[in-house]
Amino acid sequence: MTRIRSIAAVAALAASTFFLRNWRESTVYSANPEPSQESAAASHSFGRTARVQSQSAPTWSRDIASVLYKNCATCHHPGGAGPFSLLTYADARRWGPQLMTVTQSRFMPPWLPEPGYGDFADVRRLSDHERDLIKQWVLAKMPQGDPAVAPAPPRYDADWLMGKPDLILKVARPYTLPGGGTDVFRNFILPYPLKETHYIRAMEIRPGTPQIVHHANITIDRTGGLRRQFPNDWQNGVAGMELMVDAGNRFDPDSHFLFWKPDTPALVEPVGMPWRLDPGNDLILNMHLKPSGKAETLDAEVGLYFTPDPPAKQPMLIDLERDDALDIPPGDANFVVEDSLTLPVDVDVFGVYPHAHYLGRDMQGWAILPDGEKKWLVWIRNWDIDRQAVYRYKEPVSLPKGTVLHMRYTYDNSSTNIHNPHAPPVRVRAGNRSEDEMAHLWFQVLPVNVQPGAPDPRLLLEEAWMRERLRKTPGDQVSLYNYAAALAGEGKFPEAASAFEQNLNQSPHDVRTLTALGAALEGAGEWQQAQQRFRSAIDAAGTDSSSTCDPRFDLASSELRHDQPEAAEDFRTEVATCPEDAEALTGLAQIEIEANQSTQAIQHLTAAIRIDPFLANAHEQLARADAQSGDLPGALAELEKAAQLKPDDAAIHSGLSQVLAASGSLQQAIDEQRTALKLLEDDADGWNNLGVLEARTGHVPAARDAFQHALRLDPQHSQAKSNLARLQSQN
Amino acid sequence: MTSLRAAALIFLILLIAMCAWASEPLGFDLRGKPITDLAGPGIRVVVLIFAASDCPISNRYVPEIARLNREFTKRGVRIWWVFPNPEDRSSTVAQHNHAFAITEPTVLDTRQSLVHLAHVTTTPEAAVFRSKGNDLREVYRGRIDDRYLSIGQERPRAQQHDLEAAIGAALADKPVPPSGGPPIGCSIVPLQK
Repeated sequence: MTRIRSIAAVAALAASTFFLRNWRESTVYSANPEPSQESAAASHSFGRTARVQSQSAPTWSRDIASVLYKNCATCHHPGGAGPFSLLTYADARRWGPQLMTVTQSRFMPPWLPEPGYGDFADVRRLSDHERDLIKQWVLAKMPQGDPAVAPAPPRYDADWLMGKPDLILKVARPYTLPGGGTDVFRNFILPYPLKETHYIRAMEIRPGTPQIVHHANITIDRTGGLRRQFPNDWQNGVAGMELMVDAGNRFDPDSHFLFWKPDTPALVEPVGMPWRLDPGNDLILNMHLKPSGKAETLDAEVGLYFTPDPPAKQPMLIDLERDDALDIPPGDANFVVEDSLTLPVDVDVFGVYPHAHYLGRDMQGWAILPDGEKKWLVWIRNWDIDRQAVYRYKEPVSLPKGTVLHMRYTYDNSSTNIHNPHAPPVRVRAGNRSEDEMAHLWFQVLPVNVQPGAPDPRLLLEEAWMRERLRKTPGDQVSLYNYAAALAGEGKFPEAASAFEQNLNQSPHDVRTLTALGAALEGAGEWQQAQQRFRSAIDAAGTDSSSTCDPRFDLASSELRHDQPEAAEDFRTEVATCPEDAEALTGLAQIEIEANQSTQAIQHLTAAIRIDPFLANAHEQLARADAQSGDLPGALAELEKAAQLKPDDAAIHSGLSQVLAASGSLQQAIDEQRTALKLLEDDADGWNNLGVLEARTGHVPAARDAFQHALRLDPQHSQAKSNLARLQSQN
Repeated sequence: MTSLRAAALIFLILLIAMCAWASEPLGFDLRGKPITDLAGPGIRVVVLIFAASDCPISNRYVPEIARLNREFTKRGVRIWWVFPNPEDRSSTVAQHNHAFAITEPTVLDTRQSLVHLAHVTTTPEAAVFRSKGNDLREVYRGRIDDRYLSIGQERPRAQQHDLEAAIGAALADKPVPPSGGPPIGCSIVPLQK
């Protein structure tokens, strides 16, 4: 039989009680509603306080349940991301002391931004009144009150919050997180298995074991590059906090925050702003995992909800960052980095994502408007990576061109920062391991007030952003490439070519840069040089046939533009090497149409549209092939699809006008031609065509006006001249 | 504060006995069998880890306790898991121990007598006793380590291993340093009266 001698026996009571009370006062953890015997003095005053308050004490049924249901239950329900449920009175009573502790300290609900520094949607911060209610309820010994007045608990019985997804992607293999140790950051690769492009209007991530997932981020790997880096074991996931993935060589900037945190499992995009997945893309699910004490198996899946409508608005993610300046001495509790970026276009800001690792403390983001006004975008005074999130504004924040975005981050690399991964502290620089640091402030912006016909405003944002990055890190290869690509996209081809040449100095055999340089030279009119570069790129690719897809496509397209017979052969090689290249199939079909081989062309274009139903040019060419084979209704349907995809393309409306005219719908043909001319006013051919249509419908004055318009634009336009003469002779 | 801690330390040394009588079992094992002896032959130090099957911080310490058990089990130390909450009945705890692969012996403190004898308030919280024959003298009570400073304030890994140091000192018959901070976790749920 064991006899137990305790530390805090009667003779030790006074001192040890005092000792304990002091401890308890020093921590947020203390609120035991049933104080134990050794704190007799404390319990006396505790009881007295409770009696005074009990007359009007809050009850669970009347006051507390609604607060918990609104603010806590989305995670704290059976099977939810929270470690315990808070749906019943018994649950609330069980966790009452902790509820008081964590709401008083504002550890829960998780919400980092300071109020008044950005007007965010879905704010999780409790009001002072709600916090006080919980405190008073706990101090009053957590009365239930009348169960009849309690609100009905929310239900969380749906498998998928938004119903069955159109596509569910699963991790290749379940992952087992060990029970102990430090947090784990892991990247799971989920290949997009479909053979056609889809737009995604909503997404839900089901981590499998949500209790161990702090947050998750999805990146789209457009090139499948990460999977190729780990050919043998990508199915097990890849360790690492952040990854840089290859964005491909089309201007296709990241546009959406695909971010999961425990209380927002379903991510619904604003109307008109879906995101896109193409065949060959991978989703990279980056997860921050916290060991629970026992080995846990994670079997994450991602549900995707499609929309048939391509985006009406094209947002873009831009990033203030100062990774280059992160060189934090050990012991420095106040290390500051700053960055800024001047906006070259008007934008609406939809959301913000501040990001640092364990040393980040104070994170500020703001804008200085052209009139000098300072507008706060976010301020986090006590950063905690475990509770990081994307914050979306209640209403988009409008920032005019010329606004300067600012970030200012402060890091604490002293031993008093309890999150510091190193004890004693060591020098810390930027990197993607959790013990490295980062300094990023991402914004989702939508360019607004764009003039019709102006270049894609995202290119101007990209150019400004990359110029700023090059100022901070001269010679950075990725920034230089992206800068050159933005210039090329804007049509500034000579400048782009020169920037690509600079890039080539550092890596003369880089297939992508050679290809991009070729494209810039082609745009600048130097097509022979361009074709030389494309051939060099194909040579540089060597035996890696998939790397030849882009340069060979560009070479074949250039040859097609310059009526070189080699185009056909190069497109055939391209289609054989890169069978999923919808644009190559379209290019080959274009040659077949020129050669009156409409049957083959229709076959290739049907394949192209199966791969990428949103490729307007494929629909346009299919319309030509249909028209060539005499299928006018088919041609009309395809052109209508093309016009839907590219409503601002004058050539498509012109084509529609011609098919409508050939089908006898003259008035509709006139309308379409007028639409085309609104989009491209100085098209002499277009005015001449309009004149012909007007003349055919007997509208002589309108026809005369149109021919005269054509001749004003091009006084030598022979058809317009003869048409006008004919019109005048007839009347 | 330092002088107060020193004062408390003196009281740790000037222990006064409290007895658990032979007729009162200390608790029950998971099959409902009364436990009357926490030490046993050759045991010099007994450690009680107060835990709750539904407390996340308590659960996160399972691997650390397993490590300490591996470290000390052959040196005359017996570590017990103690489950004092009324909802932690034998079937719940058995299921929990299976899920967490807990191999250390377990006590259901159904009357919370161990809670009162050790003067603990929290899960997880540890109590360390020197064992001499049938006598257990409590020489340490408090946190396992300094990984948690409060709920929500957590180090990536512990820097100060209070319980490990206490067990080591108890084995070496040296003065046991007091816990460097309060235990952080979940309140022990009082028995319904």
